[in-house]
Formats: sequence, C-alpha cells, structure tokens
Amino acid sequence: MELKAQTKWRWGLATYLFLSGLGAGAYAAGAYLDHLGEAWQTLSNIGIILGFPCVAVAGLFKLKQLGRPQAAWRAWMRPQTSWISRGSIMLMGFLGVSFIHLILVIAGADEGLRHVFGVIGGIFGVALMLYSGVLLAAARPIAFWSTAMLPLLFMLSSVLTGLMAIILIALITGEPFQGVVSNLERFIAVLLVLKTIVVIFYLQSTHRVPESRASAKLVLTGSVAPLFWFGVALLGLAIPLGLGFLDLIRAYGAEPKLVAALAAICGIAGGFFLRQVVLAAGIPAPLRAGRFEVALPII
Amino acid sequence: MARYGFVIDLKRCYGCYSCQVACKAANHTPQGIDWAWCRPSETGKFPTALRQMIPLVCQQCADPACLTVCPTGATTQDENGIVHVDADICMGCKYCIMACPYGARQTVPEWNTYFPDAEGDLDPYEAYAKKEWEKKNGYGMASKCDFCHDRVQAGRQPACVQSCPAKARHFGDLEDPESEVSILIRRERGFQLNPEFGADPACWYLPPR
Repeated sequence: MELKAQTKWRWGLATYLFLSGLGAGAYAAGAYLDHLGEAWQTLSNIGIILGFPCVAVAGLFKLKQLGRPQAAWRAWMRPQTSWISRGSIMLMGFLGVSFIHLILVIAGADEGLRHVFGVIGGIFGVALMLYSGVLLAAARPIAFWSTAMLPLLFMLSSVLTGLMAIILIALITGEPFQGVVSNLERFIAVLLVLKTIVVIFYLQSTHRVPESRASAKLVLTGSVAPLFWFGVALLGLAIPLGLGFLDLIRAYGAEPKLVAALAAICGIAGGFFLRQVVLAAGIPAPLRAGRFEVALPII
Repeated sequence: MARYGFVIDLKRCYGCYSCQVACKAANHTPQGIDWAWCRPSETGKFPTALRQMIPLVCQQCADPACLTVCPTGATTQDENGIVHVDADICMGCKYCIMACPYGARQTVPEWNTYFPDAEGDLDPYEAYAKKEWEKKNGYGMASKCDFCHDRVQAGRQPACVQSCPAKARHFGDLEDPESEVSILIRRERGFQLNPEFGADPACWYLPPR
C-alpha cells in the first residue's frame, strides 16, 4: 500500500507560514532589543519595521491560497474551536499593534510608549510564531504534523529567520559588523545548534506510526529529500553554522560582512524550505478496517 | 431524535462501484469529487493473500473534526447527526480536508469535464450536471456527502444504498435499538473505521469473514 502525501497545502501556505514567522520573529526580537539600550537601537528599529510588512504580505499569500477568498472575512468566526480563527485574530491584532509601533519608531516617539506597544506586540508576535505549528499539529490524521515538537520547531525557525533578516538589513544599510551585529550572530549560532537538535529529534520521533515513518522516509530519501537536504540541512543549517560558528572564512581574511550576509541569506532560505518540507511530507493515516488498510486518495 | 447511520457489509461488497456511480449521478459531483467511493485493499501473502473492497462515504461523525476546525462556521451538524457545508460561507481554507481522518472532504477549483478532448461546449448531460451541482455547491469550497439529505427527507434511501446490487449497504436510525442497522451492528459485531481518532462515526462495517 502506497501512502500519499497531501497536496492541498503547498507553496502558498508555506510562504504564508514562513513570512508570518519571519515578520513576527523579527518584530519580537526588535521589541526585546529596544530594552537593551542605545547600542541595540538600530537593530531594534529594523526588527520592528520589518514586522508589519512581512506579516501583511504573508496575509496576502494566505488569501491567495483560499478557495473562496471572498468569504475570508468570516475567518475569525469560531475562535472557540478553530485554530485558523484564533490565528486570524492573532494576525489582525499583530498587524494593528505592529503598524502603530512602526509609526512610533519612524516618528521617534517616546521610549516608554514604544515599550508599551513592544510588549503588547511581542505577545502577539510570540503567539503568531507558535500558532503556525499548532495549526498543523491540530490536524490529527497527519502524524508527521501532529506532534508538540512542530510548534517548537517553527517558533525556533521564526526567531532565527527574524534575527537573520535583521542582521541582513543591518549589514546592507551600513551597520558595522563588529559590535552588536557580531554579538547577535553568536546568539544566532547557539540557536542554530538548538534548531539542528530539534530537527533531529523531530525526525526521530516519527517512528511511532507507519504514516509518520512514511513521511520521514519521504523527507530523508524520497521525493522531498532534495528539498530537505539542500534547502533545510545545507542552506538552513550547515552553511550558516559553518560560516558563523566555525569562523573558517574569517580566519582566511574574508570580509566578515559578506560572510555574515551570506549566512543570513542561506538561513532565511532554509526557514522557507523547512515549511515547504513539512507540508510536502504530510501523509494522512490510512483507513483501517480490521486487518485491511486503504491509503487515502490524494487530498 | 434519530441519528442516521450506515452499516456496510464487507462480506457482500464485491467492488462493482455502483455506489460510486449512483452517488455521482444523484448528486452531480464533478470530476475529482467522489462522495461515495470504493477502494480495494489487500493483505497477507500467497497462499493466504486476501483482497477486500472498502466502500466509503462521509462517516458523519458524532464528534466531527471538520466542524471543530472550521473557522467560518460553514460546517454544521443537524439534529440527525448529518454534517453539512454551507457553500456561501465556506472560504476554502481546506483545514477540514486536513483534519478529516476519513478523506471524506474534497474540493475542486473549477468544473473538470470528463471529456477534455471533446470540441465545443459541454454535452447536454454534463451541462445539466454542472448546473445542478452549482445550485447547492460551488468551486474552491469543501464538499462532502450528506447522506443524500434531500432524498432521505422525502422518505427515500440514499442513492448508494438503493443502488447496491449486493445489498451491502444499509441505512437507518442508530438510536433505535430495533432498527435494521442497530440489529446488524449487534449481531454481526460491527466496527468503526479508525476508532483511535475518537470521532465516533455513524458508519459501521461488518467484518468480511
């Protein structure tokens, strides 16, 4: 019996999950850095400014993925049971608060007012980062998604891609590498090691049932393997870790800003491919009628 | 209040697909949507290999995952346990498709003709089916079997039950202990599909042998 992966949630939803995670992660990091003093102000502002447009564009990708976007205004009608409803409320809350916060930053508003919005927006941001994993985890027939590790993995990836986006923008806008940027990069290296461990444990935990084993096989050796090994493992983990943590290139005199920018670009791309891999490998449980099993048709 | 349910006798089903065709004819479902469908399953190895057809419909679960995850309220459940989808409210997020353990929900973005190589407009029969489909359903939204709700309200059997030549399908009130379906479940030791999901489906299956 050949188990087949779902096909309804693919690139459109992966882009929505990625951009909303990146935007929320960048914003939450920026809001936190705002409390660390003047030296971190530039990075903080970049994170806060990134939040609203990234999540807004993510929302457009979500609308594009709907079969009937004209009914999308009803999306928050059932927050008592539906994670999409809850996510829609979180998204709208985040967009509202982050937009106001963005205006305050551009206008150079008072620190106290910025901090208030930062805390509120930060809470929405964390909720948005966790929600994307919880949304998938609530689909119980797909064992590859239905695990508590997925929200953790997506949250970690969101924080990482958000921080990497901040570093990339900072380097492009002329921020010197030495100082806060290099300090942040060291923190990112620690998170990358943590993410690697979480990815390994996530794939290891799929041994429970045949359908999640089939998903893991698809990811590691099947049709999704190129996306995983190139996109997630190489671009998302190995290159940023190798360039940043091992410091090899710097030891040979390469320009640190270029190295850091390359690591950030690869890490951000890896975050996108991670969402696509998880979606593409979602295999639902077969129907079980006594000793007989039937793979669901492609959904 | 009656809770409508199915009993499907796996001993009798031989995979003629009459149910699938009858459902399509009665409900005018487009290509890519099958509310009632049959799938072959094999188990074991020679010389003890077994083959069995598994007929399927929407299981009309007592605790439907599709209703839980629906964000717009398009998915509702009536007093007889039948789960409906409101075509005007559904936004096509496909979350119900992911959440359903039984693959009962499907969606198509447009009407797919069964005769793509034919020239010109749809033939009259397909044009009629398209018109009928668009009266109560649409494109981009989730659609599902509703136990032929209109036929049942008119006192008739669902199309797949009526068409089965082997009389493998039975329809009735699960709440009535003296109904045919309740007696069959007790007597023949009926079981539900994938009970681990806790959905308590209204479709019961009788063992194949």
